[in-house]
Order: sequence, then structure tokens, then C-alpha cells
Amino acid sequence: MWWQRLIGRKHPQRRDIAEINIWRLQSLFNNFRRILFLNNAVLEDMARMEQALGGEYIFDKAFMETAVRTLSSRVHHVAYNLNALTGNGYIPLYDRYQDIRIILDDILAGSIRSLTGAPVLPLQAVGWELEPLVGINLVCLAELRHHPGCRVADGFIITTEGVQSLIRPILPVGEAERADASATEIRAGIEEQLKMLLGDRQTMRFSVAITRIEGEAELINELGRFALVPDPDGSAVKIIPESSFCGEDSESATESLLKIISASPSPVDSPVSPYVLCLEQIIRTVCANLEQGGKEPVGQLSVFVRSCPPAIISGIIHTRAASSGSLEGLRITANLPDANDAGDTFLLRRTYPFDLIQSTITPRPAGYRFPDGRLATGEAAAISGFMRGSALIDSKMLKRLAETAMTLERMMGSPVAVHWECREEATCCITGLTPMPVILAEISDDDLAREQEEAEILCRTGQMVQSGIAAGRVVHVTDEMRPADFPAGAVAVARTASPQLTPVLQRAAAIITEYGTTTGHLATVARELRLPAIFGLPDALTLLPQGSEVTVDASETTIYRGILEMLLRHGAREMDLTPADPEYRTLRRLLRFIMPLNLIDPEAPNFSPHGCRTFHDIIHFCHEKAVDELAHFQERRPGLGAIRTRRMNLGVPMDIRVLDIGGGMTKSTTIEPGPGEVRSAPLAVFLEGLLDPKAWATELPTLAFRDIISSVPRSMGMLSAPLDSLGENLAIVSHDYMNISLRLGYHFSVIDAHLGVDDSRDYVYFRFAGGLADPERRGRRAQFISKVLDAMEFKVSVKGDLVIGRLKLVDTAALQAAIGILGALTAFSRQRDTGLYSDADTRALFTIFADTFLTDYTGTTSPAIDRHTPNLGQTGNSGQAGAPDNAYSATIIGAEK
Amino acid sequence: MTTETRSAGPRPRILILDDEPIVCKRLKPTFQKMGYEVETFTDSASALARLRETTFNIVITDLKMEGADGMQVLMGAKESSADTHVIVITGFATLDTAKESYRKGAFDFVAKPFKLGDIVDCVKRIEEKQRGSGL
Repeated sequence: MWWQRLIGRKHPQRRDIAEINIWRLQSLFNNFRRILFLNNAVLEDMARMEQALGGEYIFDKAFMETAVRTLSSRVHHVAYNLNALTGNGYIPLYDRYQDIRIILDDILAGSIRSLTGAPVLPLQAVGWELEPLVGINLVCLAELRHHPGCRVADGFIITTEGVQSLIRPILPVGEAERADASATEIRAGIEEQLKMLLGDRQTMRFSVAITRIEGEAELINELGRFALVPDPDGSAVKIIPESSFCGEDSESATESLLKIISASPSPVDSPVSPYVLCLEQIIRTVCANLEQGGKEPVGQLSVFVRSCPPAIISGIIHTRAASSGSLEGLRITANLPDANDAGDTFLLRRTYPFDLIQSTITPRPAGYRFPDGRLATGEAAAISGFMRGSALIDSKMLKRLAETAMTLERMMGSPVAVHWECREEATCCITGLTPMPVILAEISDDDLAREQEEAEILCRTGQMVQSGIAAGRVVHVTDEMRPADFPAGAVAVARTASPQLTPVLQRAAAIITEYGTTTGHLATVARELRLPAIFGLPDALTLLPQGSEVTVDASETTIYRGILEMLLRHGAREMDLTPADPEYRTLRRLLRFIMPLNLIDPEAPNFSPHGCRTFHDIIHFCHEKAVDELAHFQERRPGLGAIRTRRMNLGVPMDIRVLDIGGGMTKSTTIEPGPGEVRSAPLAVFLEGLLDPKAWATELPTLAFRDIISSVPRSMGMLSAPLDSLGENLAIVSHDYMNISLRLGYHFSVIDAHLGVDDSRDYVYFRFAGGLADPERRGRRAQFISKVLDAMEFKVSVKGDLVIGRLKLVDTAALQAAIGILGALTAFSRQRDTGLYSDADTRALFTIFADTFLTDYTGTTSPAIDRHTPNLGQTGNSGQAGAPDNAYSATIIGAEK
Repeated sequence: MTTETRSAGPRPRILILDDEPIVCKRLKPTFQKMGYEVETFTDSASALARLRETTFNIVITDLKMEGADGMQVLMGAKESSADTHVIVITGFATLDTAKESYRKGAFDFVAKPFKLGDIVDCVKRIEEKQRGSGL
């Protein structure tokens, strides 16, 4: 019967729906809160691993294995919870998770199989994760490209996998099986890179360096350098072995190669083919030579090919060299091309300002033209050598070379020999480097102890960010200082560890700040640069006066007055955790697939499961999509509209219904609870702002007929929504959480906020769209809201009339103030778009709002303090210093209790 | 501003044993800077042999190793000299192993990974104790 069906449907089913919906709603929020919790835990795990890389923890391989296992499990659960939240909307995330997990497991197992990618790579495409395929020297060279003021030769690399493929026919079967890419593919890759280096030119001289990547004991061993010199007509290319610089063994290896390599290839059609043939010949000959020697296996070889335009002057920098006395310094040699003499030699101090200690200037050959235009003559040499000894490079260039070399030493973690060239355009270019085996003079423990006893400790506190010992003059970094003005090699002392200091870190010998955390962006940069760093050292600016000389022992968070030579030498001998340590390299490789955040812009096309390249990408993607799901859940889950809620009695012309999902309201059963019954921290402060009489004081503008007409398509769309969800302002709250959806007229806004006891988990998300005016004025209102959010240091994006703002990782007081102002903004901005006829109106409206509500807003109490999430901050492949602060670095979010 | 001085006299001795060379490598310079004479070992047999030859003020030993484990080293150190203070470090810390370590006379039990400062504090506590007892 119809009435039975009606009765049967009416009451019992409504109750069922309500029960099901509240269950679904709780499930929805539980998944969301789980994502928040796991997100935070993953970020903490990542921070801990990164701190271990900086030397803060003593760890072993078991730590890395455990860390990867725990982290992976959490990331997997984040992906699971997002899929549970969205009805399996992101299944491909599991594939991306699995891909990354396999790579991490391979790294832990010491395998490089999963790292294998392109066998021929341009230098700029190399990052730390590829170190086992290209060698640490080339990684450092590639990283140096990102340092301002440092020029690095253009070139490309044939990886160990590429070399193996090329030499496959002459390798034993067992080794040949490991080569995956075919020799044809390698040749094609080489040709492509050579063409890019050649550009419009037909021929060019190239330099080829072959390096063997050693096992755990040594990092690399350069086997030889060769020049590929084209004939004038470009028909053929000659191979000319060049002397090696990395010690007697390598020199003897080069000599033996001289006997074997003599032929040049026949002319062929492609302009780069002769070069390819020569390269192959070099590689095969080197391998054959190694095999014939029979002393050791061929091993893993990589090849660096670089363009080699004529150099005016070239030389080598040894970052650690002894003078005739006992003083250690940094030695730079400079030679004229094809000169048979020893060239000029300079010994400089290893610390800023790199003062010159000693120079040896070789008399110039007769006919040499000095910079002032005069010619060197044989007569002068015959008399006394007078006027024959102008140095090849000036003091300014010496210091720049010293700065660059010390940067490379820090990256490598050991003294280095750096090749440099000065070319026709008078620019200095770094062309290669190798770790330098240096037997340091033994330091007496007694001498060290005595120096320590006599040393004056200026301060001993703060948090170690990156271990290491450095010395230099103190330079206070102010807001006004341009990074380029910071003297390279000085000890930077700043008030806050702001990300804006990143360029300074690239020039400093050490960094000390009064405020800042070990998990911030700047801490990450310091670790990337292996720059000794102490953050959170109170009164550092007072304790370390401008211009004073100090020695920083970051490992012990201790700063001494003056330069402690013994301690510096001790630090150089026993650098804490360096790339020479397999644990360091393994952890660094792991972090390359964990930490960098590549997905920054949620609006970008690659913001998808497929675009996730690291665990950080996955959790960031999941968080963004989870917030998005909640921001739209009323539209996407219309069935939830039937849940039982209570209308609030607010005393303003606005209805807000409230749904308490846990401790958000008092236990009273009042039908219409008032603000006094709110226990939800974020809702309480939001209502304070919303109910501020000043926000309701001004008259609403009159709607023009045009406004109503222009809004019809939008309002019709809204009207087609289920009745339950239209016009209802719904606040879903718990004691520390609020998700409030507001419809004021035809405006629609969502505020999603967490405000708990741990401010690192707090955030507020604000989304505003809609309006009744024409698109232009709605756009102006969006600009107005955007300006207000900007003023509160939100990260804001505006698209048409849609404004999205996010604020995270600020002080609790600042976040509370921001949520309160959002309340006021909600009331203040209702239908304001209709009055915004010009940009001047927008500005005027902002001025009114700012004068009324923002004057007392102090923002973050320490706005410049870097409280961002750790992040290797990849830009392209680098992931090193200079990387922009990323969006997700501000997305540590709330978590379940 | 503070100035710290160190007392003169024969330098105390410390033995570090861990089968992971990185742990020895990283602990050694810190204790050298603190004025200790440091010897490091990556196999327990050599460390035990050395303990039979010489008395050390402090022994820092890993727990889980090939051959003799940290507990045996702990007992060996105590047999060699009851005044030797032993710090046990391990990446596989459990309540049971910690209890057993203390029962066998360990001064402290530190789970890996640990901050350098943690173990330095531990050694400083031993120094204070030794000063207090006049050793």
C-alpha cells in the first residue's frame, strides 16, 4: 500500500540514514586525521634522517634500514588513507610508492640497478643520487654549477653503465651481462651531447677524463685525461693524451696509454662521428690496458667529456699544501699554455680572507706581453730577471679561486685538487677535481689538549645543524646586506635562520644564528653544503663581535676566540661524517628519493600520482588531496547533508549549524547553543572575529540589476544543489579542529583549521569563491581577500574569483589571530564585490579592513624565523643550495591526539 | 663569556669497540678533544686481548657483534679492572638487554642512533663519579 510505503520510509529510514551518515562522516574524518598524523610522523622521520646526515647522530647501517622500513610503512598508510577517504580515487599512488620503495631497498643493498637511467647525461643533470654511476668528483662539479659566481665547464658524462655497454665485446661474459643499454644507444646519446656542445660550430677541441669509481676505501681514481683535437679541415680527430694530476700511479697509467693510442679515425659523414670513434677508442684502450696490467679488475669507469676552448692560463688548486715552513695553506698554480716552465705558484691561507703567504713567479719567456703592454726581453733576463716576473693572475682572482676550491673541499669532505682555466673572455672556469690524498702532519694529542686548555670559549650552546670545524672573521648578516657583499669565507652570524640567508651560506665558512631550528630550510641547505652550522645560540650577535676572529667547532656547539690551528688541523684530519664514509653516501642517496619535494603547485599538470618522485611528494600530494576532499565534501557527499546538527544562536543574521565530532561543544543539550558553549579552539576564535560588531557595522551596498543578472548562471548552479547543502553553514568541530563551510548570499567559503597543543601541527586553510557581481568585480573582491591574507602571511593563490590561502607553522598566537580575522573577514566581505567598481575601490576597502582589524595583528612573532619543514629543495636535479623554499615546506599539519 | 680549563696530568684512557667502523671513527675525535687517549677496535677478540693487557678508565662497547658480544666484553672489562666504567651501545635495544647490562655492571646503556652529546654527557657523568670517589 502506498501509505505503508510512505510510513515505512518516513521515520525509520531517516534515522538509518542519519546513523549511516554520521558513521561515514566519522570515517571520513578519521581517515583525514590519520593522514595528518602520519604526515607529521613522516616529516619527523625525514628530519631525523637528515639530521643524521648533518652529523647530529652517531648511526650505523641498522639505523638506515630501520628508518627506511618505518618511513615506507607510514607513507604506504598515507596512500591507503587517502584512497579510503576518496573512494579509491588515487590507486596509482600505490605503484609510485612501490617504485620508490624498490629503489630505497636497492640502495640499502648496495645495488645501483634501480638508479640506472640515461647512460649518457649532461653534467647539469647529475645529482647526488647518481654518485655511484658517475663518481663523486663529477657530482661535486655538477653541484658547483648552482653556486653563484662559479663557472663550471660544459660537458657530459658516460656513466658506468654506459661504459660497460660500450666495452661489452671485450669484457668477460659475466660482466657484460650487467650492461643493459646497447652500444648503439650509447653512441646515439654521445652524438646528441656532442652536437649540443658543438652548437653552430663544426669542430671543437674536447677534453676527456676517465675515472674509476672505487669501492668503499677510496672514492675515485682518475685514470687519465685526453684531448680530442680536430684537424683544421674537420675531417679527422686526433687523440692526444694529457698529463694527469692525481699522483704518480695515474701518471704511469697515462704513459702506458701513450704507447697504445696513436690512430685517429677515418673521416665519416656525421661531423661528430670522429669524436665518437675516438671516445670509444680511448675507453677500449684504457680497459685493455688495465686488463693487460692484470693487477686489478677493470672496475666501474665513468667518462667526462667537456668542451675545451683555448685557455689563456690554466692551473691547479690544491686545497691543502705545506709551505716551506710548517704552516699549511692552499696552493694555486698558474701556467701559460704550452709553457715548459713550472708556472707561478701561490700559497694562501685556507681561511678567509685567504691572505697570500708566499708566491713564486716564473720569469716570462722573451716576447711575452705583460698586461701593461710591454714585452719581456732576453736582456732583462740576462741582467737580473727584472721586469720578467709579473704574476699571471691577480690577488682578486686568487681569492676567488681559493673560495671555490674550499667550497669543493667542503662538498667532497676531503682536500681536493681542482683544475681551472681562464679563457679568452677572461672568465675562470672549473674543469675538474679529484680528492687529494694528503698525509697530514701528525698532530700531537698533547698539543691539541694544550691549545684547548688555553683557548677562550666565547660560547658553548645552541643546536648543531651541521658538524664540522671552521674559522674566520665574524660578519654580522643584516637584512640590508646583499648576499654578494658577504665576504666569502667569513663566519656568518645572523639573528634568525631565515631562508633568505641561503645565498650567504654559499659564501660563508660557517653559520651561527640566534634563532632557528634544526629542521628548517636553512638547516637543510647547510647540510647540503656541509657547512658547519649552529642555530639557536642566544646573544650570538653580542658574543661574537663583528670582525673578530673565531674558530667554530659545530660538532661541540662551541666557538673559540681566535684561530685554533691545531683544532682546525684536527678537524681536517678527522672530519666527522663525510662523503668518504659509505654510511654518508648511502644515507645521502636514500634521502634523494625521500626528501626532495618536486610537486609544489597543486594546480600544475604534474600534480598527480604519476608526478610523485619521492616519498615527500607522495605525502604532500595526499595531504593536498585530503584537504581538497574535505573542503568539497558537502558538494561531493550530498548524502551527508542529512546528519543531525544544531543551529547556533549567534545574535547576527547568520545561521551556522554545528556538528560535534569530539569535544567541540559542551555536553549541554541546548537546542540552539551559543558561543559560550563552544569548546573547539579554532571555532571559538573564529566566532570571536565573526561576531565582532565592527565586522557588521558598515552598510551593504545596493545590488544593481546587472549584478543579479550576471549571477544567474552561478546562482542557478547553486540552486540545483541539494536543498540540504544550499544555504546551510555547517561547522564540523572537535576540540582542536574546525571545518566550516559558509554560504553568505552567493559567496562560498571553507575554513579548515587545526589548533591544538603542538603548534607544529596547526594550520588554517581558507577557500573563498563566488559572489553576485560581474566577474570583474568578483575578481576585485578576490584581490581584496588576497591582500588581507597576504598581510597575514598566508600562502595565497588566486584564480578568477577563487582565493585559496594556507597558513602553517607559525606561532599559536599568530594562528589564533589569523583565524579570528578570517571570522571578521567572513562577515565584512559579504557581497562586497558589488561595490568594487574600480581598483581604487579595492584598495580603499582593504585600507578600511586593515585599519579596523589588522592593526593589532602581529603575524608570526618572528616572521623571518625559518620554521619550515626540512627539504632538499630540488630545483631541477640539484636539490642543493639556492633551491626555493617550497610550498610543502609549510605543510606540517595537524594530527590526531 | 666563559673560559674553561682542563686539568693537567696523565690522560685517561678510553676503549671504543663497535663492528661498524663509522661509529669508532666518529667517536674517537670527540674523546681525543676531551683529552682522552683513545683506542678503537672493530672486533671484540682484539678488544678483549687489549683489555687483558691494559686498564682503561672507560669502555664503550657495541652489544651485538660477531664472536664475543658486548656482554662478554662488559664482563671482560670488569674482570680486568673493577673500576672501569662500561657504556653499552646498541641498535637493538630492548628492556631485557638493558636490564642485563646494568645487572652485569654497565654504567649506562645507550640506544643507537644517539646524539654525540648524549654519550659525551654519559662520559662526563663518569668523570664526576670518578672525581667524587677520588679515582
